[in-house]
Order: sequence, then structure tokens, then C-alpha cells
Amino acid sequence: MIATALPTTGFSQEVFDAFLARREEPAWLTDNRMAAWKQFNKLGMPNNRDEEWMRTDIRLFHFDRFTPFAEFEASPKLPTALLAEGVELAGHCTSLDSRNVSKELSPELAKQGVLFGSLDTLIQEHSSLLRPYMERQLIDPYKDKFSALNAALWSGANLLFVPKGIKVANPFHSFSAMSPGGVDLGKTLVILEQGAEATLLTETASTEPDAGGMHCGSIELIVEKDARLRYVNLQNWGSGVWHFAHQMGHVGANAGLQWTIGALGSRLAKVNQHVALTGQDAEAQVNGVMFTHGKQHLCYNTHQHHKAAFCRSDLLYKAALQDKSRTVWRGMIKVDEAAQRTDAYQRNDNLMLSATARADSIPGLEIEADDVRCTHGSTSGRVDDQQLFYAMTRGYTRQEAVRMIVTGFFQQVFDRITIESVRDALGEAIGRRVRDIEE
Amino acid sequence: MATDISQDVTVGEINKYDFITPSHDVFKAQKGLNPEIVAQISEMKQEPAWMRDFRLESLKIFESKPMPKWGGDIGIDFQDIYYYLKPADHQGKTWDDVPQEIKDTFDKLGIPEAEKKYLAGVKAQFESEVVYGSLQEDLGNKGVIFTDTDTAVREHPDLLREYFGKIIPPTDNKFAALNSAVWSGGSFIYVPPGVHIDFPLQAYFRINAEQMGQFERTLIIVDEGASVHYVEGCTAPMYTTESLHSAVVEVIVKKNGRARYTTIQNWANNIYNLVTKRAVAYQDSLMEWIDGNLGSHLTMKYPAVYMMEPGARGEILSIAFSSKGQHQDAGAKVVHCAPHTKSRIISKSISKNGGRSSYRGLCKVEKGATDCKSNVVCDALILDSASRSDTYPYIEVEEQDVQIEHEASVSRIGEEQLFYLMSRGLSEAEASSMIVSGFIEPLIKELPMEYAVEMNRLIELQMEGSVG
Amino acid sequence: MSEFQPVAKVTEVPDPGSLLVEINEQLLVLIHAAGHFYALDDVCTHDGGPLSEGPLDAEEGTIACPRHGAKFDIKTGAALTMPATKPTRSHEVKIEGEQILIRLSED
Repeated sequence: MIATALPTTGFSQEVFDAFLARREEPAWLTDNRMAAWKQFNKLGMPNNRDEEWMRTDIRLFHFDRFTPFAEFEASPKLPTALLAEGVELAGHCTSLDSRNVSKELSPELAKQGVLFGSLDTLIQEHSSLLRPYMERQLIDPYKDKFSALNAALWSGANLLFVPKGIKVANPFHSFSAMSPGGVDLGKTLVILEQGAEATLLTETASTEPDAGGMHCGSIELIVEKDARLRYVNLQNWGSGVWHFAHQMGHVGANAGLQWTIGALGSRLAKVNQHVALTGQDAEAQVNGVMFTHGKQHLCYNTHQHHKAAFCRSDLLYKAALQDKSRTVWRGMIKVDEAAQRTDAYQRNDNLMLSATARADSIPGLEIEADDVRCTHGSTSGRVDDQQLFYAMTRGYTRQEAVRMIVTGFFQQVFDRITIESVRDALGEAIGRRVRDIEE
Repeated sequence: MATDISQDVTVGEINKYDFITPSHDVFKAQKGLNPEIVAQISEMKQEPAWMRDFRLESLKIFESKPMPKWGGDIGIDFQDIYYYLKPADHQGKTWDDVPQEIKDTFDKLGIPEAEKKYLAGVKAQFESEVVYGSLQEDLGNKGVIFTDTDTAVREHPDLLREYFGKIIPPTDNKFAALNSAVWSGGSFIYVPPGVHIDFPLQAYFRINAEQMGQFERTLIIVDEGASVHYVEGCTAPMYTTESLHSAVVEVIVKKNGRARYTTIQNWANNIYNLVTKRAVAYQDSLMEWIDGNLGSHLTMKYPAVYMMEPGARGEILSIAFSSKGQHQDAGAKVVHCAPHTKSRIISKSISKNGGRSSYRGLCKVEKGATDCKSNVVCDALILDSASRSDTYPYIEVEEQDVQIEHEASVSRIGEEQLFYLMSRGLSEAEASSMIVSGFIEPLIKELPMEYAVEMNRLIELQMEGSVG
Repeated sequence: MSEFQPVAKVTEVPDPGSLLVEINEQLLVLIHAAGHFYALDDVCTHDGGPLSEGPLDAEEGTIACPRHGAKFDIKTGAALTMPATKPTRSHEVKIEGEQILIRLSED
């Protein structure tokens, strides 16, 4: 390893060169990183004239205020992993500020060829196995400045690879933490070969609840023919963190993906979550829970892309908004001409808990096949007075009653999670955020 | 369902309207768009300086604004269009007073006949100018004004100036700016407090010339406790080159007033129809848009209601039918600016033979607009796999005490429904046609009887040949 | 009540002219017109457009959104034309020597 002094701030050429020098990666990967880095420098910042960014003002975000791969004096204490609580795990790994810290994998599974842990390390040992999956580029590195940056500098990444036909009952868990002011350039790559089954829980959090920092991440889920993936992703960054992410799932023929997002943290989140149904009879269920407070701004763009016939997709995003927070959910169901017999649904419900919050809901349908059933629904409203009244006549305070109603509002999403311990852990993690709600 | 495109001879446009009138224009401005032409239009109309300046300023705004990046493909060469074409040297007060060829045109379209039977007033616009205008005498006596907007500039300058360009400023969008620069014709309506107009006022817009741009400008003011129903129809013959229709319609509905604005748009499918329509509704008033889009090559039109004061209501019914070579990018906008306001949008669209229908809409609740309700329902039918349907609703809520609901669905004609009707002895074509009629029933029943009959006939013609 | 905070030097904003400034993690447009300074949220209440990128009419005392042209009163933030109907926030400005200071309004 070459020791190089790193400049203190920004995403400079020196930082990139030093980064490459420190890593011992196969040449094809280095080439890909260099191409993406070039693109990162070429692309301008997204701006508010761009329809996709019109509702999400990032003029206060500046790359040069962050220092990637900064050394810290003493390792900060990692926050408690909420999703792992009470769950029997098949494997577990953690990273801090984009550096892999620890990993465990059941030896049984390792013997069966399951790979789990640091992608940074595993890519060196399994280059030829992983290369074709990496080079599919589910996420286009040239899509925008953030996808390019992640493609160039990803590190502290997670890999789950489950070989053909292997079914893993217990969930895997990965935890990515960030110290105050830190930078996370994480990536999650999941590959389920034909007929494989697995559950992955990933969780991101800051070491302090009000910490700042930036996350520029990517998630790629490759679910091959007949495979089934259950994926839960809890975003719990500190309230000062900028969160930029591109996330993409590919679901092959007769395969299934259940993807649940819990979005609690960050000061501003701009997430593109894309699911492509690429083989006949593929199925995807996408669930989202957004729970915001303060001046948070969470923007989730979802995309259900039906490319093949006889596929089903079902999306449910629920947001509860407190204080002066704002959510933007923008969802698209796209049905290609070939995707006959599509059954697609999307729904967004917003519970307004404050008169100063704002919820934007933008469902969308683009349908080019005729033999389809595509529907969407969106509602926004306040806590139902009758429900409140009923609970209060039963002796609950107004606050307790509101809390119960909020929990009930999200219950519909929790109920979709079939593994009981995971359902409880997610419910508990979100329940903690139901603060004292003032009317 | 099998589709034979070759059988489809009536795509997007109904033969009845496809005829060209040999006309003798009194004045035709040069092709193209520049400050000289804009000034010339103003001069021809002998306008006051403020209007000429407004036009020239609007042209600058038009030139500075980029083309919209969303919606349809707008393949217009703005320099290859005639912006002003004066078909007659004066406006007729009787049909006999209208040049014979033009009178024949409106005879064929059935306007004088309809006028006798069930209209309270008529304006007929041919190319750039209103060539005929009438209003029932008693309405005139009550203070109702129904004239063309050019006349209003001369005869009602104070009233016009108070509202003109205030609901839709030229800066609003590129095509509002274009209209503001070159507008000509259109209706100006004022209904005094407490006056109810029982029969509809109708305007009929006809484009006859090739590569023509029609830019009517309509302003409707419904004073306190008054009501009006305004109906507009539009047709043109089919040419191989594109024409442009870009209107601006501003409606003001004051306290306790009611306005209903019905459009049956049946332009030939070489016409770009890029229209801005917006109403402001004050306390306890009701604004209704009924918007039927059957014709044109590309329509981009989203009638809006801004509910400005408590108790205002906005209702919009939008129907789009697109066939081969057509893109209907239609929709509706409701903006709740005050408490206790209510809105409803119903949108129905049908796509067939490679047509594309898009619903694009907005439901916005501004800060302070508590106790609002809005309900939006969009249903789309796709009749074959060559066609396309899109839904783009935008919902923006900045208040807590609201009840906002939106739902949309896209589907094909149900096989069970078809099978049921066919088992009763209907052919597949008849059954499809019947299902489509049922699908758009909510619009039809809101139309005056005569329009409902016409609309049903248009839909039947559109449906012809859709089933092989 | 928040404190006055320095945001720019008088010489940085010509008259007439406007400047985008950042204060307490918020973006404001600082306006110099007819010898006076004003500050508004850099947000059009119609569609969120950046007022700092729109035309300033010093004579009329308005600044317009570059997207759809809604005009706001530079003194009060009041929405003066469609399509905006709600005011944008205005903030107190004072000058001390060469320094321009802004006090954020309650939000």
C-alpha cells in the first residue's frame, strides 16, 4: 500500500488519485472508476430548472465542504442497530465512514458458496464472478453527478451473493454508520442467482442524532429467474445529513422482490428507487414509510418499470409529516408495449400532523400496452377527529391517541413484512420517532 | 382485440367539417413573427398605445421563454405561420350582413339554426376576426355585454383593462405570451350582478386558411350573484401542413356567481392546440370547466380554477379522445387559496389506433387554505396496443386540515363486458362503441341536449373502424 | 427574535441589483433598489422558483419569478400577480458602514 497524504477537503483529483493508489483492485474496475470520475467532473450540479430537481433545492449543498476518507482520532461508538434487535441473523457486517469495520457470516453458508460482507475485499477475490454483474451497471453512472461520484469512489460497500438454488431463511444484516460531518460513499450489491432466496436488512445511521455529513450511495439488487429477495432498508441518518442515492432492482422471470424502505433521517434526501420487471411473471412489492420532523426534506422518486408480460407490481408509500418538514413522493408506473397483462398499482398516503408541513404527491402512469390494469391512488389528510375522540373517550390523552393513530397509519406497511421479528424491529424503530405531537 | 387501421377513414377528424371555404381575405399579414407584424396587427385594429405596448412586450417575453420540455412534441416553425388574417371588413349584425362564402360555412356547421333554437347569443370567428355577433335584446337591456374582445378594447376600455392579462399574465408561459402578442378576436362577456342568462352563449371558431395561426382572447366577468353558460366549438379543414391555435381564456367569477365554460374541440388533426385557460373564483362562487377534446394533432390544455375566497368551488370535467396521429395532453388544475373551498376533477380519456392521451393535472392546497376538500378521478381506456395512455397528476398540500383524494386507472375494455353485450346479439364493434359511450356518459349528461347529441355522434364516428 | 447577521458589503450589490445570500442555512435574495436594501426568501410561492434569478423592477418595486413571472413586492414580499397568491417572507435589513445585515423573520 502506498502511503499518500490526503488533502483536507473536497473531491479533488488528488483525493481520487490517492484513493485509487490505496486500493488493490482489478484493472477493469479501476478503468470503470476512472471513466465515472471523468464524468463526475464533467457533469454540472443538478439545478432547479431540471424537472426532477425542481422541488428539491440543493443550492446549499457544496461538495467542497466535505472531506472523504478523513481520518478520525478515535473510532466513535457505533449507534445501536435497530433492525437487528431480536432477529436471528445469517450474517452481519458494519462499516463506518465508508470503511468496512467487521463482518460475520455463518460458516455453513460460506461453505455453500454464499458471499457476504465487504464488496471492497470480496471483489479482489472474486473478480471474474462479480465482474459481469458489476458491469451490467443497473445504475447508470452517467445519470447525474451523484451516480457518477458513487461509481467513481464507492467504498465500504456491501455484497450479498447467493448461488443458484440456495435458500437462506435467516436475514443478513448490514449496518453503515457515519460520524458527524463524515462522508459515506457506500454501495450495496445483492445478487441472487436462479432460484435463490434471501432476506437482507440494511441500516444507515449517524453516530449522533443531529449530526451532519453526506451520503452519496447506490443500491443494486439483481434477482435472477425464480429467485426471491426480501429487502428492508432503514435510513436513519442524523438530521444534518445530505442523502443522495440511486437504487435499482432487477427482477427476472418468475422472481420476486419485496423492498421496504424506512426513511426517517437526513436533512435532505433525494432518492431514486427503481424496480425493473424484466422477465415474465416477475413480481415486485415496494413499500415505503416516511416519517419526518423539523425542517427535513425527503424526496423519493420511485419507478416501476414493466418490461415483460404477466408481471405484477404493487407500491405503497406512506408519509407522516410533523413540524415544517416536507416530503416529495414522485412515482411512475411505466408499461412497455411488450408488457401485456401487466397488473400494476401504486398508492401514496400522507398524514399531515402539522399545518406548516408540506406533502407533494406525484403519481404517474405511462402505459403503452393495452391489456393492462394499472391504477394509482393518493390521499392527504389530517388525523381523523372521530378516531381521536373515540380514543380519548377510552381514557387516552390526546397525545397518546395521536401516537396510536400514527402507528396505525403505518401498520399497513408493517403488516406486509412476513418475518415477524423483522416486522417488530422495523415497527419499533419507527415507533421511537413518534414524538410528542402538538396539535 | 384485433384492429384494422386501414378501415379507419375518419381518424381524428370528422368529414363533415373537412371542407375549405374559397374566401377573399380583406387583409393578410405577412408570414412570420416580428415586432413589425405585431405593431401592424395593433395598427389594423386601431388600438390604444397601452395595448400595442402590451403586445410588443409580450413578444419579447415569448422570445425569451424556452419551449416546454414536457407534454407533446411541438414541431412548429413560428416563422412559417400567418399570424393575422382579416376575412371581412366589418362584423355582421345579421347573417345576411356576413360575406356569402363565410355565411355558407357557418350554415354548413349549423350555427344560424342553433342560434334560432336555443342560444342566447352567438359569436362566429373566421380566421382572426369575429365576423358575426348577436345577443338577445333583453340581455343587452339588462346590461349584459357579449362582444368580441377587439370591440371591447374600444367600447369597454376600463372594464377590460381591469382584468385583461391579470389572470393569465403574458409571463405565465410561452404560449400565453404568444397569444398576448398577436391576439385577435375571442369573446368578451360581462354579466352584471344578479343577472342569470338562461340559455348558453356560444362562440364558434373556424380556421379555414392553411398555415394559419388563430389566437383568440376571451375574457369573461361574472359579477356578484350572476350566472352564465358559455359554449365554444372549434373546427377546421384538413391540410397537410400544420396550423396553430393558441388561445388565452380568463374567467372571473365574483361572490355567489356561477360560470360554466363548455368546450367541444374538434380541430382537424393538423392543428397544434396550445391553450391557457384559467378562472379565479371568489366567495361562495362556482366555476365549472367542461372540456371535450376530440380533434387536433396535439392539444396541451389544462383549464384551471383558483379558489380565491372561502366557499369557492371548482369543478372540471375533462374528456380526451385520441386516435392515429393525435396526442391529447389535457387535464385540469385546481388551486385552493382560501379556507372551506372544494374542488372536483373527473377526467376520462380514450386512446385508440396509435393515439396518445395524457392526463396532466394539479391539485394544490396553499398555506392557510384550511378545511379544503378535493377529489380527483382519472380513468383511461386503451383500445389497442399501438396506443398509449399517461397520467401525470401533481398534488401539493401545504395545510393540515384537508381532505385530498386522487385516484386513476388505465385499463382496456373488459372482456366480460364485451362478452356480455355480444351474447345479447351486438357485434364486437357495436359492443365496444356502447362501452365507450357509457364510459364518457358523465360528460355527455352535463351538455345541453343538442351538444350531447352531437358529441355522441362524434364519438360514434371516432369509434368507427376501431374494431376489425 | 433572531440577531442581525452580516451577509454582504454594500459594494457587492449594485443599484438596481440583487444577490443570492445564505444565512442560517437559508437562501435569501438581497435586493438593492432606489437606494434601499430589502431581503426576501428566495422562493416563489407559486412553484418554488428562485427569485434571485428573476428580473427586478426597481421603479415598480417588484421582483419576478423567472419561471412564470409572478411578481412580489420587494418591501413586503406580497404576491402582486398571478400565478402566485401567497406572500413570500420578507426580512429586516440594516446597513452599518459598508456592511449589510439581515435579521431573519420568524417562520
